[in-house]
Amino acid sequence: MKREWIAALCALACASYSASAAEIGRVKRSTGIATIERGKAKVPTAPGTQLQTGDVLVTGKDGQIALTFIDDTRFAVGPNSRVALSQFAYDRTRQTGSFLTDVNRGSVAVVSGQIAKSGRDAMKVRTPTALLGVRGTRFIVEAGK
Amino acid sequence: MIRAFAPLVVAALLGGCATNALVLLPSEDGGQGAVAVLDGKGGETVVSQPNSRTSLRGRPTTAAYKVKPAEQALLDGLPPKSARFTLYFKEGTTDLTPESQPRLEELLAEVRNRPGAEAQVTGYTDTLGSDDDNDRLSQRRAEEVVEVLAAQGIDTGLLTAVGRGERSLLVKTGDGVREPANRRVEVIVR
Repeated sequence: MKREWIAALCALACASYSASAAEIGRVKRSTGIATIERGKAKVPTAPGTQLQTGDVLVTGKDGQIALTFIDDTRFAVGPNSRVALSQFAYDRTRQTGSFLTDVNRGSVAVVSGQIAKSGRDAMKVRTPTALLGVRGTRFIVEAGK
Repeated sequence: MIRAFAPLVVAALLGGCATNALVLLPSEDGGQGAVAVLDGKGGETVVSQPNSRTSLRGRPTTAAYKVKPAEQALLDGLPPKSARFTLYFKEGTTDLTPESQPRLEELLAEVRNRPGAEAQVTGYTDTLGSDDDNDRLSQRRAEEVVEVLAAQGIDTGLLTAVGRGERSLLVKTGDGVREPANRRVEVIVR
């Protein structure tokens, strides 16, 4: 009985681990100084690099990163930016989910995808001065210091 | 009071383009979208005027706007829209119909031309035969397409194959019905 409990707990731990490390999108292109901060690690931004929830996209002068998400959302992160993919959940079958991006500094161009369509303000973008509810469109967010 | 405002003014002067703003553009299909500025207390200001700029410091104010070169460069840097392909199969097999061969070539070209391309491959069947058989057949159809892409030197680490059997029929039919339009693999290339 005890052993079964341990097995169940392990299975749960594994499931939640794989959920947190699950791919949410990919880097398509990157120019100039650009890195992904993942916890304490710094991940290079080569095309095809998988993105995870919690990743922070950081660019320097002249840096730019283009990415797509599994719900068809697309981003272009501009120079001198710091953008955190704070929350991301997507059910491919039902095409519903939630997405919170923190634009701490710099700029991001966004074309929203399925998540924004799946519910009112299911996709949010937060800046140091505002919280935006995305209702399905193309826009740029700029955050000063 | 004046002292409290001073750092803000200095930041605005030094920052130059360091602003806090939302630039709303027409959506790619020409339609109109919207972004709501939420006040965190249940209130909101909806911005729906395309080609406008809204200040995000203090009360949101929107004005007509033409994008600057740096903003245009950012928009041009967006990845292209995902491309969708549907390939059809002969009854009960993983063989493509002759009509779908050129479409497969287009798919291969699309994957090759996209940096960091990924393909989401989903197989389907019509309602002829058992659910279990159809789940297996749809999975094999999806895997067949992935194998063709892999044989062309495309990194299979960037591909996923899923079989959905007779769920999501393209043409709604009853059970046990032959329907060529439902015997398909759908591919989304990002």
